[in-house]
Amino acid sequence: MEQTIAPSEMLLHLGPQHAIQPGPYLLDLKLRGETVVDAELEMGYIHKGIEKILENKTYLQGITITDRICYLAALTNNEVFCNCVEKLVGIEPPQRSQYIRVIMEELSRIQSHLLGIGEFSTDLGFVTMFLYMIREREEVLSLIDMVTGSRITHSYLRFGGVREDLPEGFAEKAMSVLNDINKKLDEHEDLYNTDKIYLQRTVGVGVLTAKIASDLGVSGPPLRAAGVAFDIRKNEPYLVYNDLDFKVCTEKEGDIFARIKVRLDEIRESIYIIEQAFDQIPQGPLFPVGTPYGRRTPVMRVPAGEVFCRVEDPRGEMGMYMISDGSDKPYRVKIRGPVFPTMQALPPLIKGTYVADVAAIAASMDGCTSEADR
Amino acid sequence: MNANNIIKSLTEKFPNEILEPNVESNIRISSYVDKDAIVNVCKHLLETLEFDHLSCECGVDYPDRNEIEVVYHIASYSHPVVLTLKAKLDRDEPQIESIVSIYWNANWYERETYELYGVKYTNHPDLKPLLLPEDMLGEWPLRKDYEGFPNKTAKNLV
Repeated sequence: MEQTIAPSEMLLHLGPQHAIQPGPYLLDLKLRGETVVDAELEMGYIHKGIEKILENKTYLQGITITDRICYLAALTNNEVFCNCVEKLVGIEPPQRSQYIRVIMEELSRIQSHLLGIGEFSTDLGFVTMFLYMIREREEVLSLIDMVTGSRITHSYLRFGGVREDLPEGFAEKAMSVLNDINKKLDEHEDLYNTDKIYLQRTVGVGVLTAKIASDLGVSGPPLRAAGVAFDIRKNEPYLVYNDLDFKVCTEKEGDIFARIKVRLDEIRESIYIIEQAFDQIPQGPLFPVGTPYGRRTPVMRVPAGEVFCRVEDPRGEMGMYMISDGSDKPYRVKIRGPVFPTMQALPPLIKGTYVADVAAIAASMDGCTSEADR
Repeated sequence: MNANNIIKSLTEKFPNEILEPNVESNIRISSYVDKDAIVNVCKHLLETLEFDHLSCECGVDYPDRNEIEVVYHIASYSHPVVLTLKAKLDRDEPQIESIVSIYWNANWYERETYELYGVKYTNHPDLKPLLLPEDMLGEWPLRKDYEGFPNKTAKNLV
């Protein structure tokens, strides 16, 4: 950003500590009147060096580290890490484990979207909605807690399977909670659709068109809200997503309203996926039979090789590039989070908008600084 | 779009620059690329093979071979094939041309690789540290011989 400032211009630092932000980052805005003419994003305030830490941990220890990349997507982060190791070792989880993973990851997607929508609503001053969303999310977290034993950082996946089987009566409990959420979601959507102030602040604001979004490398709900049906679960199916029926939720407009709509639709779609998974889940072992992999995997050496895996995070495309040199620790792990390109796309997106809309646009992208910084 | 067709198109267009092409599965291809040809190869990928999404760009340090590899994972919004391109650089003076002019979102990946590995990107619009503070420039923390800053932290922790 040009540091020279004309007499009619003003430099505004938004952050690194600010109530509207999901995490610490610094947004430098150059304003002319109320219009943003230039913007620059600075980050690194929550850089944890996770890629370097993973090089110094054994594979099993690495699972707990991947939780901490972003606690809202802990299960999908586990998934991509375990997926890489499984591909290098050449094992595949049994059907039952794959279904359990799908159920848990979709639950995790629901709670992430609920919090994302809730936080966004607070930034618009719509605090009622935040409380509704948090109430719903807490129910989902209790479900995840029932299975994994913790609310946020679960470390639930293991190489070749999952740590625990579903407890007795989980399916009934989960479906009653999810059906309840499904009903309440319609009411909440009515609240959004009938609120004049909400509509004025979201419809046609922060428009990201399909061409620009794909040029900027964005993925996940911001991209799908622009009309590009890009979803790793469909494009490059992993686990048992091939056997499940679901649609990729898209909107055409690409504005804030569309991004929230896509998230609301995805919650409904996830509930539908979970419902099918409960119907189709077979009985059977949790770990591949005849391999040393189990709940208590010993210190393991992974054959030399390299692999690039992608899964669909709540926020978009989560990729991991892992190189193994045949020892018990990975040689190199590169985490390609979905938020990194989304945050990168933020400065060009807010150029030319009003400064009052910056908070709404930034929140509607559902950024997670912790994941972008790693 | 088929993995074999992609390899065929690439090797026909760049017979000397694309080295050791390898089809790992029908959605994963990897290949080494001559570091001087990276921009032309990326332009070809974007314009004719629908590789319109730079998924990831990172560095890998190989002190034994005295090399740093820059690895590009190039994907597409329309087909599931991911192409892994690797360019070998001299570890003492790693330098490669930036691909920001082709893939806009390479900007931050290159800034990150620069601060963590010391890879100099020529023609980059704004090459400066992204995550680390300015005074850590020159430490290159993700290289394998990094000792810790300042001479402690992660080294003895396992």
